[in-house]
Amino acid sequence: MATTESQLDDQEPGAAEGGSVDEEVETRVGWRYTLAKVKRDATARIGLYIVAFVIFIAAFAAIDSNLSRLTFDTMSDYTAAQAIPFFDHPTRIPPPGEAHPNEPPVFVDGGSLSHPLGTDPQGRDYFTRIIYGSQVSVSVGLASTAIGLIGGTIIGSIAGYYGGWIDDLLMRSVETVYAIPPLVLIIVFTVFISGGSPDIQYAVIGVGIAFIPVFARIIRSRVLSVREMDYIEAARAAGVKDRNIIRRHVIPNSFAPVMVYATLQIGVTILIVAGLSFLGYGAQPPTPDWGEMLRIAHGRYMHSNIWLSIWPGLAILVTIMGFNLFGDGLQDALDPRIEN
Amino acid sequence: MGLLRYTIYRLLQAIPVLIGISIITFVLANLAPGDPVRLMLQGQQADEELIRTIEQRYGLDQPLHVRYWNYMTGLVQGDLGYSIHRRRPVSDLMLERAGPTLLLVLSAYLFAIVTAIPLGIIAAKRRNEPTDHISRIVALIGVSTPSFWIGIMLIIVFAVRLGVLPSAGLVYPWQPPEAAGHGSYLEHWTETIRHLILPMIALGTLQMATLMRVERTQMIESLQEEYVKLARAYGVPERTILRKHAFRSAQLPIITIIGLNLSTALGGAVLVETVFAINGIGRLFVEAIQQLDYQLIMGITMVLGFMFVVGVVITDISYAYIDPRVTYGERE
Repeated sequence: MATTESQLDDQEPGAAEGGSVDEEVETRVGWRYTLAKVKRDATARIGLYIVAFVIFIAAFAAIDSNLSRLTFDTMSDYTAAQAIPFFDHPTRIPPPGEAHPNEPPVFVDGGSLSHPLGTDPQGRDYFTRIIYGSQVSVSVGLASTAIGLIGGTIIGSIAGYYGGWIDDLLMRSVETVYAIPPLVLIIVFTVFISGGSPDIQYAVIGVGIAFIPVFARIIRSRVLSVREMDYIEAARAAGVKDRNIIRRHVIPNSFAPVMVYATLQIGVTILIVAGLSFLGYGAQPPTPDWGEMLRIAHGRYMHSNIWLSIWPGLAILVTIMGFNLFGDGLQDALDPRIEN
Repeated sequence: MGLLRYTIYRLLQAIPVLIGISIITFVLANLAPGDPVRLMLQGQQADEELIRTIEQRYGLDQPLHVRYWNYMTGLVQGDLGYSIHRRRPVSDLMLERAGPTLLLVLSAYLFAIVTAIPLGIIAAKRRNEPTDHISRIVALIGVSTPSFWIGIMLIIVFAVRLGVLPSAGLVYPWQPPEAAGHGSYLEHWTETIRHLILPMIALGTLQMATLMRVERTQMIESLQEEYVKLARAYGVPERTILRKHAFRSAQLPIITIIGLNLSTALGGAVLVETVFAINGIGRLFVEAIQQLDYQLIMGITMVLGFMFVVGVVITDISYAYIDPRVTYGERE
């Protein structure tokens, strides 16, 4: 959300500079107007709250621990107690060799308040790991959507602005990427790029690239109409370089639908990365990632320790739902056809 | 442009995309830092002599463009290459595993269509009523839940807790009942369905949710069309309006969505097949990745991309057949 909002703010001078007052009134894409409408829409508001909550948790977990957590570093030094001061439970890391039982959550027989959601097979507090998982999901969602957004905006605006063979070449190549099922493409990319030892950063790049096509398509279709505008013509007549026209006028004025799509895309991205981690090609242990946690839960503990499968999935569901609700609300606010 | 010419035109248009897919897979497979044979023999005693022999035997010692040319000439002849790892042709390996995946994806689509369309219509008809809100929440949860987690939850509830449905594998209806140890066809097919229910729901939920959303908006839009208002003014019963006037025009976008979502469904099959231990293409892909079986990975990626392209072309063409308003050959 933080990123989205700062990007929204950045857009404002650009849109004004484009001198597209008419256009703005016409399609009603003024950011103030949009945000006001989003605030009035109940579902969008719920989405906004959920997103803010998840991002807060992720940021909180990041601030609390050392900086290595922010980068996708391994967490071998990670213990339950040092993680969250609020929920300071006694650390129970048994010495090597000693069996550490898989504690159930508090509302199941044998559970205790010290581990409200139980512990994982390594004896680590499950609640803490779920909290840390938000960090991975949110940063992965934002980072890979940003890659897709930037790549798609560049390709889409160039294709739309120049048209002709450039358009054909760029859009055909982009469609090709689109044709391969994203999950399959990303796994192939991740595994080959990493030389057989996949990790989350490769997954982020892979997901970003896999979603360039959708962004490119959306921005291109907007650019096609924007480039016919008088102010573009005027800029061209004044001798402004193509590069600057695209950067200063075309992109800022084509950006609104893409932002909506980006919000919805964050949810899709988190879903895909969870799938990747579930198959073992995303985050690697001991990184606390929801998909990775589900992989371990499904592998050996699906029958005996049900809770291991429940929490990470619920966390994914809530997070993605937040982004989807918010994106839907944005879409409704920006779509002049839907009137309440 | 006539329909036939449009069909041919769309098919020809797909060729560059198919070539593009082959380039992407080929480049990705050859981008790997280590060389394929060495990676493949990971953990085993890597004898230099042996590596060179393998490379020579499968033409891996030749330059990249030569290899690509060889691969492509094989491809147009229907030869997807030879899996060095499994010592079998890729096409054979894939054909063996295609059945379960097709069965899974088709039944998931069936589930999605059968549930989404009535729900979408009801939601549109009772817009902003509780029924509408509930169905919107269901759709929202559907698009926000990972298919593999739905699978896990279904297994926990129906297989582990209630013990009413099997948690893994499929029973293939095309096999004789004896092969699966069943006495009669009835028993055999009942088992087929029982094995199919959970993976079908796991894979189909996302499709259902997407289709339901589209169906709802489409129905709302077409219920606001002039001809619907006219029919209402003439006193045509609401039910007839829904069935005859609004429904038909609302189905066209559904066809497009089904075609475009094929890609998601095939990707989802990889996950669902893993959760339910179904020996389909998806699991074959995961195995191939684990074994770094280059030829097999390339083959599967090619075929999945090919299936998507063909799926989109088919939806485009069927769209043109169904909707007389569609003008062919026009570029967006």
